[in-house]
Amino acid sequence: MTAPAAVRPSRGGRGVLAGDVALPARPSRLAVRALSAAVVVVVVLAFWSVDIQWGRLSDLPSEVVRYLGLMFAAPEWSKLPEALWQTWRSVAMAWLGTVLGILVATPLSLLAARGHGPAPVRGALRLLFAVIRAVPEIIIAIVILSVTGLTPLTGALALAVNGIGTLGKWGYEAIEGIGPGPVEAVRAAGGSGTQVLRWGVWPQVLPAFGSFWLYRFEINVRSSAVLGLIGVGGIGDMLTSYTQYREWSTVGVLLIVVVVVTVAIDAASGALRRRIMEGARARAVQP
Amino acid sequence: MSAVLPARPAAPRPAAVLPARPAGRWRVVVGWAVVLGITALTLVPGLGVEVDLGAVARSWRNGADKVVALLQPDWAFFPRTVAPLLETLQMAVIATAVAGAVSLPLSLWAARTTNPNRLLRGAVRAVLNVVRAVPDLLYASVLVAMVGVGALPGVLALVLFDVGIVVKLVSEQLEAADTGAIEAGLAAGGTQSRVNRAVVVPDMMPGFWTQLLYVLELNVRASSVLGLVGAGGMGLLIDAVRSFYRYDQLSLIILEILVVVLVLEAVSSAVRRRLV
Repeated sequence: MTAPAAVRPSRGGRGVLAGDVALPARPSRLAVRALSAAVVVVVVLAFWSVDIQWGRLSDLPSEVVRYLGLMFAAPEWSKLPEALWQTWRSVAMAWLGTVLGILVATPLSLLAARGHGPAPVRGALRLLFAVIRAVPEIIIAIVILSVTGLTPLTGALALAVNGIGTLGKWGYEAIEGIGPGPVEAVRAAGGSGTQVLRWGVWPQVLPAFGSFWLYRFEINVRSSAVLGLIGVGGIGDMLTSYTQYREWSTVGVLLIVVVVVTVAIDAASGALRRRIMEGARARAVQP
Repeated sequence: MSAVLPARPAAPRPAAVLPARPAGRWRVVVGWAVVLGITALTLVPGLGVEVDLGAVARSWRNGADKVVALLQPDWAFFPRTVAPLLETLQMAVIATAVAGAVSLPLSLWAARTTNPNRLLRGAVRAVLNVVRAVPDLLYASVLVAMVGVGALPGVLALVLFDVGIVVKLVSEQLEAADTGAIEAGLAAGGTQSRVNRAVVVPDMMPGFWTQLLYVLELNVRASSVLGLVGAGGMGLLIDAVRSFYRYDQLSLIILEILVVVLVLEAVSSAVRRRLV
């Protein structure tokens, strides 16, 4: 290990001599030290000030085992058909939310991209995307339900609004990251602004957009289960009520359904996304 | 493409020769048809999401009133939001710290380059895939039943949720990293665990911290709603305000979450720039 170090010249001549090996001087670590001290202080402060009786942790393991037994020892399989039906409603909510989000976010992300939208519009849209991303979708749903009531449509709309924030941001970042060649070519051939978008930008970003859409659908499937908590329907609604009735054998079935469906949709969508991105890369290599 | 351009401006313009359309366009058509089909299926009344525009038109006034209330935050409500907001931040910080401590070894176990044991690696990954599939609020609602109402179930739910994310992202980053240093360490006679400690851990730290910062942001956002199921933080307040239809107070809560998240985002992106 020492041989390569000896070859390396010491930086700035301030090397420390260890035997015949001149080690380079250590870079200043003051900033890193200050930062780690701040992190430690914040964490310790949080642990010290939070209102938690840590003693309750001691009976957590036995409680976990007890509840896992209640949930999974004898699952109430007779509730499975209803669980699957409610899951379909959640997935439908997620799908519709994704489609609506895509329809609104795609034109907005084109407007928010540098070089394609006017500067004031760009700034306003980026702020809008940031604001939407900062608000949890369950709060968006609470606001929307004053118009649409406690229906799955509320859930779909909340997911759509939330999707505008993420899809819009990923969208304009992807558009700003494309190669300038095709855009310049369309412009040089006399293309108008819309023609530049259609023939210079769109074919380049489509694979990335497709991958974002699928990823957003995965997120929405997860979130749609959570939105049931405020009563918009779907598997989350069922799960909340059976948790409140403390019918753990049914809750066990519902959790199994949620996990299986989520993992299956993630796997399918992940395979499709890899296919889209790698297929696109293989095509780009060919002249 | 070059076939379209004339070779010389002076020469008579040759007839434009368009390249053949790429084959396989039917796949695109089928893809769009499937998407449209599923979308139509989700809109069938009684089968999917019912879109009742009549109801929307009827309650439009109601919604407009709510939006007006949202636009006038009730500033007098601020003192009551301070303690829940602090609790939300405490939960987020504690959960991030615990999740960081737990996921450091787990990430090393879950990556191909740092754990050659296929069986152990597969087991860790399988468990984490299941852990990741359950949304944080569902963890919280089950944990509230187990350990009682308060910040503790919230912190536990966040830790579970975070470990799933951090281990996935960090282990993917480990697998994408150059294996040269690991091979050198193994060739010098180090055991895998010693190589991991001496070579991999210092190398992965910037990426690891980046993911922890990302998770801290997610936690602040998530812990502000965990209270809806009784798991502490702002959510409890959101639930109360919602059931009294005090949208002016809800508006103040949204504003506070917004400010905290945006400040945190700015700070963490500044720190991240220094790290990477």
